[in-house]
Amino acid sequence: MVGLSVGEKHFIQGGIAQDLRSDGRKRLTYRPISVETGIIPQANGSARVKLGATDVIASVKAELGKPSPFQPDRGKVAIYVDCSPTAAPIFEGRGGEELSAELSAALQRSLLGGKSGTGAGIDLSSLSIVEGKICWDLYIDGLVVSSDGNLLDALGAAIKAALSNTGIPKVNVAASASSDEQPEVDISDEEYLQFDTSGVPVIVTLTKVGRHYIVDATSEEESQMSSALSVSINRLGRICGLTKRGGAGLDPSVILDMTSVAKHVSEQLLNNLESEISAAEACEEES
Amino acid sequence: MEFVSPEGLRLDGRRPMEMRQIRAEIGAVSRADGSAVFEMGNTKVIAAVYGPREVQNRSQQINDQALVRCEYSMANFSTGDRMRKPKGDSPARCPMFLEASTTIPTILGREGDFKAINRDISGHSPDHGSMHIDAPNASFSGTRSACINAATLALADAGIPMRDLVTSCSAGYLNSTALLDLNYVEDSAGGPDVTVGILPKSDKVTLLQMDAKLPMDTFENVMQLAIEGCKAVATYIREVLLENTKQLEYRRGV
Repeated sequence: MVGLSVGEKHFIQGGIAQDLRSDGRKRLTYRPISVETGIIPQANGSARVKLGATDVIASVKAELGKPSPFQPDRGKVAIYVDCSPTAAPIFEGRGGEELSAELSAALQRSLLGGKSGTGAGIDLSSLSIVEGKICWDLYIDGLVVSSDGNLLDALGAAIKAALSNTGIPKVNVAASASSDEQPEVDISDEEYLQFDTSGVPVIVTLTKVGRHYIVDATSEEESQMSSALSVSINRLGRICGLTKRGGAGLDPSVILDMTSVAKHVSEQLLNNLESEISAAEACEEES
Repeated sequence: MEFVSPEGLRLDGRRPMEMRQIRAEIGAVSRADGSAVFEMGNTKVIAAVYGPREVQNRSQQINDQALVRCEYSMANFSTGDRMRKPKGDSPARCPMFLEASTTIPTILGREGDFKAINRDISGHSPDHGSMHIDAPNASFSGTRSACINAATLALADAGIPMRDLVTSCSAGYLNSTALLDLNYVEDSAGGPDVTVGILPKSDKVTLLQMDAKLPMDTFENVMQLAIEGCKAVATYIREVLLENTKQLEYRRGV
């Protein structure tokens, strides 16, 4: 990205202060979201989300695995993000690794909860097949194709869309298995169970520029931020995860204010996203 | 295993000389100087071009020509079984990367038009363009051909002057029949796989690769079939580019 001149920086900051950003949006308005589902036929579920010029793809693959001994009644989910070099020339080779790791960690925190597995946005116990022996391992991969700011929100939306599109094959377990051997499992090719995504949270990132917060920052606006707070909120208005980025310190009252603003914005975002996802799935079924 | 049924149909219902459905989209990555998405069947490649910029590695700099650098990567979800490779794996070790990165620069030629670019951008002393082509795939079979086609479109979108388009297609030989445009199953069957890249206007072959063995006369047939495939891709690419130019003219109000 070309560097910004002092004049441009003042313009961006001034616009935000006056509730009129460079592309005409208000501080709390999202760019138009477009969702396409089922774009990767080999995956169990996939989606592509475009937020302005930011373009990300998420795919979900389900494989049989063994549950962890500490949580025998839950499945496992792993989230990896890859920043493709097509998004920006600095991502070539290993340049995108740091950002990929940061995004993966933030998404895991927002969607999967803590190490003990409690409070996860995704219901892991629905992934268990035989307690203690067999469970589904979900591998969620994100790919950033084009980057124009607000990658975390876009990835969160893409993962939610991909999960709604995911069909987990129905599994028949051979009943006659003794307790200590691996039961035989028959994976059905025909029947699929749709994954339940009503509890999956959506991520809202608030970027603080000067004294105001904006939602859905473009990369120019992000370059002017002092700090950013990403909140993952579910349908019930409950916070599932928080990530703060940026070096500037934030007063605790500011953080509380930001979370309530995020909660307010998330309702509209969730409605918008869910209608886009159902439109995309309807479109995909027709074709 | 039977790849061609007695009625002459392949596993996916195609005839031996039929290509998979191709689809191209220009300008997919808005931040890039040029970009394109190219799909051949289920293989999907996104290519983006960035540049010209100063050469990063001074030792690679060529004094009177542009340097084209290619990076090729595959997404984790590309293949049937998810590749659980951590990003730490050096992409350069992947054989596909080496092939893709050597073929694409050679096909663009090193004379004439590129010198023109260099002269225009020489602001500071040893300034030379470096172009960056990235192609992360979303699917597996026939990736080389799809990459080359996507790269051609991305370069055209970026406005880089080229002597000719470069198109590529593959062909194989299974069950004593020459098959055009192998898909994943046919490719993994272990039979020969001939990949050809041509310059359609000048009718010259710029890339020719094959694995496994073929008797000479069969090879000629298979190569000829692949060349026909390349020409079909070239016709499609020209249509897409023409349509794109019309859209640009329309938007400029011409």
